[in-house]
Amino acid sequence: MSLRDVLSPFTAWKHVINDPVTIKDPFNRPGADRYRGFHQNDMDKCIGCGSCEEICQNAAIDMVPVEGQEAGPGDSGLRPMIDYGRCCWCALCVDVCMTGSLTMSNEYTWVDSDPDAFRFVPGVDGKSWDLEPKGYQREDTRRLTGTTRAPMGELAPEDRIGNFCEIVDGFTPEQAVIEADRCVECGLCVATCPAHMDIPDYIAKVRDGDFEGGLQLLYETNPFSQACGRICTHKCETTCAAMHEGDAIAIRWLKRAITDSVDKDRYFDLIQKPDVPETGQSVAVIGAGPAGLTTAFDLARKGHKVVVFEALDKPGGMMRYGIPEYRLPYDVLDHEISVIEAMGVEIRCNMRVGHEISMEQLAKAYDAVVLSIGLHQGRSTRVPGSDKAEAAIDLLRRITAGVEVPVPEQVAVIGGGNVAMDIARSMARLQKIKYGRVGVTVTALEDLDRFLADREEIEEAQEEGCVIYPARGPQEIVLDGETVMGLRTWKVQAIFDDQGRFAPKYDEADEMIHPAGMVVEAIGQMADISLLGEALTEKLEWNRGRIMIDSTGQTSEPWLWAAGDAVSGPDVIHAVADGHRVAVSVGKMLAAKREKVQ
Amino acid sequence: MRHILYRLKDRYHLGTPVFQRDDLCFVTVKRFELRAILTELRDVEGFTHLTLLTAVDWIEEQQFQLTYMVNNRVANLTLALRVMLDREDATGDTIHDLWPTAATYQRELREMFGITFPGSPRVDEEFILEGWTDLPPYRRDFDTLAYSQQTYNDRPGRVTHDPKTHMQKTLYADYPKGAK
Repeated sequence: MSLRDVLSPFTAWKHVINDPVTIKDPFNRPGADRYRGFHQNDMDKCIGCGSCEEICQNAAIDMVPVEGQEAGPGDSGLRPMIDYGRCCWCALCVDVCMTGSLTMSNEYTWVDSDPDAFRFVPGVDGKSWDLEPKGYQREDTRRLTGTTRAPMGELAPEDRIGNFCEIVDGFTPEQAVIEADRCVECGLCVATCPAHMDIPDYIAKVRDGDFEGGLQLLYETNPFSQACGRICTHKCETTCAAMHEGDAIAIRWLKRAITDSVDKDRYFDLIQKPDVPETGQSVAVIGAGPAGLTTAFDLARKGHKVVVFEALDKPGGMMRYGIPEYRLPYDVLDHEISVIEAMGVEIRCNMRVGHEISMEQLAKAYDAVVLSIGLHQGRSTRVPGSDKAEAAIDLLRRITAGVEVPVPEQVAVIGGGNVAMDIARSMARLQKIKYGRVGVTVTALEDLDRFLADREEIEEAQEEGCVIYPARGPQEIVLDGETVMGLRTWKVQAIFDDQGRFAPKYDEADEMIHPAGMVVEAIGQMADISLLGEALTEKLEWNRGRIMIDSTGQTSEPWLWAAGDAVSGPDVIHAVADGHRVAVSVGKMLAAKREKVQ
Repeated sequence: MRHILYRLKDRYHLGTPVFQRDDLCFVTVKRFELRAILTELRDVEGFTHLTLLTAVDWIEEQQFQLTYMVNNRVANLTLALRVMLDREDATGDTIHDLWPTAATYQRELREMFGITFPGSPRVDEEFILEGWTDLPPYRRDFDTLAYSQQTYNDRPGRVTHDPKTHMQKTLYADYPKGAK
């Protein structure tokens, strides 16, 4: 041992006047800034999707109802309860969180003699670290679930404007699988869908490449999946968990991908009529639109004889005569309806109830009658000259039917809803074909961001050359003798009064004349109820001009139900949901009747 | 750091270096050159400290990645060497003679990933998982959830709710679910 070895320990004394490098108070030492400690959950952001529970590798999380959080659109009302006896602090739950509500504080020391104290709902059961800004937060450079939609092809504006070809290509099966893979299958969307389709389940089928299984799932809740895969208002996508930090899952296009991927002939093998005995009972459905045909589909599969009476040439209702071909091709609709007919549903076209056959005859000949007549009469603005205006819905029907419609070089459309966009874009196509140029003006009372039309409809209309004038109120259809010369509008200052009643206020100084050889009114439709006849109209109970129905769709008459746009609206998927509801109600009545007889 | 990499590059196969910071760099090397590079880093370049030895399971590529992180305390530089192993033949080369602490890391990797290091002291002895009979738990094909459910009891009184079913009950219990 050298002298140095003996002395060197004492050299440490030279540090005695330095600042200590140890921590003065080791008992209150905070965790590192990004330490993974006890969780925090922002109640304003959490949507109860349960992705945290799903990903947890220790089964430490339960989704539980908590006070003050109600289920509603896009929020299950459930919140994660964490069992810290199981949690391993891996933070996968934070990484997967769809809204970024779940984070971790850097607090990790806590002593309690009650083991159940370590099971609590972060953000609901208050803790001292709830507002601690430090701790683990997800790095936003990489996400466990993709944030952007898989790409999909569509026709460019210049390629689509001169024809009625379908605009959207739809996903290829490969693209669909990529898109389906982004879905966390939380199922928040199911509550929003009026028909409560099994969305996460069919998306899972897409992800697994089982399109045939997916198709069978679709038909359990919606016999119009081909149509809805194209033109559904897809409100489901407004409550998708993925939309909070990226694009919502393209639920509508995934549905379409399933229907497109299955061979047309295979439908008839996959969707077969259940083997049930014939009941011998019969139901008449008036109107072959989505509500009527869904009712017919359900009832026929229960063994009832169903006859659908359709006033027009072909079945489909608004899907055929309202929605333009470039959004929903007719062959798709024909095929979809043929699957329904394969259930034994008989559709009699060109049978207008009230002309070819009366309500009384139907009531007598059938055990039940379902009224699903839609809204086929256009409303009028009733401004001076409006008797010379065209009704959008009437014009769309004539275009579908192949009747030649007048196509002036300049057209003015009144209205800001989807029907307005449909007729504007249809007329634009006809103008392009006839003159090589588009001349369509769309005016509506609302500001552009308040338009009732779908955003993409407005954008696509503009891309195709339709000029939109928002916040303009129609005052007069300008005539020269019998000829329409244009539309006179004033600037809208307010649409509703203080009480919220419809009472537009205009700036009369801001006047415009939109030159037009045709003015089209697209401000809403009503049901043509003349088929009911005077006696029945008197007998039925009404609610603000609509036939009154109960929650199952039954009218005040025990043999008559009503469904679809005519009584509820506003779109195909609501009509499908109505159809299911009415079918169950009618089925119950028929079963009761059978029991009585036996 | 870049100068060191330039010097090494002349004689060894180096992948593209990834600089996390100016003083922290990751680079992939060939397995048969690892020992030579580590020795040179330690004895010539002043990387005297083995900060850590760890692994990543790239199951899709059927490979294990070993990461040897070494540190030059004087220059305050950290260099991490990555070596890829075939996942089927999970055998690495021991470096316990270069750094004795490596033996402990290697024993841990043997237990958690099932990567063996022949010749490393006590490498086959249990490390922290006593009586482990399942797949090595850090392998990606190890089902953590199934294991934890088999092994641990839930605290009594635990109930969970499926969001979709819960919403159906609370929001639309009356709706007939289609043709089901």
